[in-house]
Amino acid sequence: MNIVGISACTSGIAHTYIAKEKLIKAGIEFGHKVRIETQGTIGIEDELTKEEIEAADLVIIAADIKVSGKERFKGKRIVEIPTNIAIKAPKQLYKKIEAELNSKP
Amino acid sequence: MSMRIDELEFSKVISEDLIQLDLKATSKIEVIEELTNLLYVNGFISDEEGFIKDVMYRENEGVTGLEKGIAIPHGKSAYVLKTSIAIGRTKKQIEWESMDGNPINIIILFAVKDTDKTTTHIKLLQKVAVLLSDEEKIEQFQILQTKEEILHLLSRNL
Repeated sequence: MNIVGISACTSGIAHTYIAKEKLIKAGIEFGHKVRIETQGTIGIEDELTKEEIEAADLVIIAADIKVSGKERFKGKRIVEIPTNIAIKAPKQLYKKIEAELNSKP
Repeated sequence: MSMRIDELEFSKVISEDLIQLDLKATSKIEVIEELTNLLYVNGFISDEEGFIKDVMYRENEGVTGLEKGIAIPHGKSAYVLKTSIAIGRTKKQIEWESMDGNPINIIILFAVKDTDKTTTHIKLLQKVAVLLSDEEKIEQFQILQTKEEILHLLSRNL
C-alpha cells in the first residue's frame, strides 16, 4: 500500500520523530511505501505533497495533539493513533490495519 | 552541510562534561535532579528548580521511558541557556513508565531552549531520540563502559 501520514507529539522534540521512524521501518517490512510528515517544535518537515496524498491508499495520523492540514486527506481512509502506539507496537498496528481492510467487503 | 560543521555542532550539544555514568539516584526525581545539577554546574541552565519543574511537567504529559532501560525525559524551558543533552546511567534500576514496562537505568535528559532559533541543535536532539529507539543501538549503549565510547557511538550514528 501507499501510506502517508503525520506524526506530532506534545513537546515536538522526540516522540514525533521516533514515531515517524518506527512507522516507516515497520511499514517497509510489511511491503508498504510509507511517507510521514512531522509537525514538531521546529515546524513541519518532510511535508507531504499533493501527489503523494492523492496516491495514498491510507493515512496514518500518529499524534498526541491537534495536527494541522487534516483537510488534505478528505475522502481518504484515515487511521488515528497516539504516538505511543506507533512507537510501542508499529508491527501490530500494520497487522491490525490489514486485518480490518481484509474484513471489509 | 559538511561533516565538519556537523561534528562541531554535535560537540556543542553533547560533551563528556554532561555524562555521568555513576548516578547515585534511586528514583526518577533524583535522576532528574542529578542530571539537572550537571547541566547547571556546566552552565547550560540558569535555574535548577525552574528547569526541574518544566521537565516534570512534560513527564506528566506522557511516557518518556522507551525500551530496554532507556528514558528520554525532556524539558523545553525558559531556564535553558544552551540546548543540550545530559546523559546518565544508574546502578539501580529506576521505576519509570516505559514503552515496554521495564525499569530504566540509562537516562538521556534533553534540555531545550525555549526560544532556540538554531534548528541545527534541535535536529541533533531528534536524531539522538531516533537513534535511541533502535533496539540494536540501545543494546550497544547498555554495554559501553566509558564516556568516550558513548560519545563515539552517538557521533558515529548521527
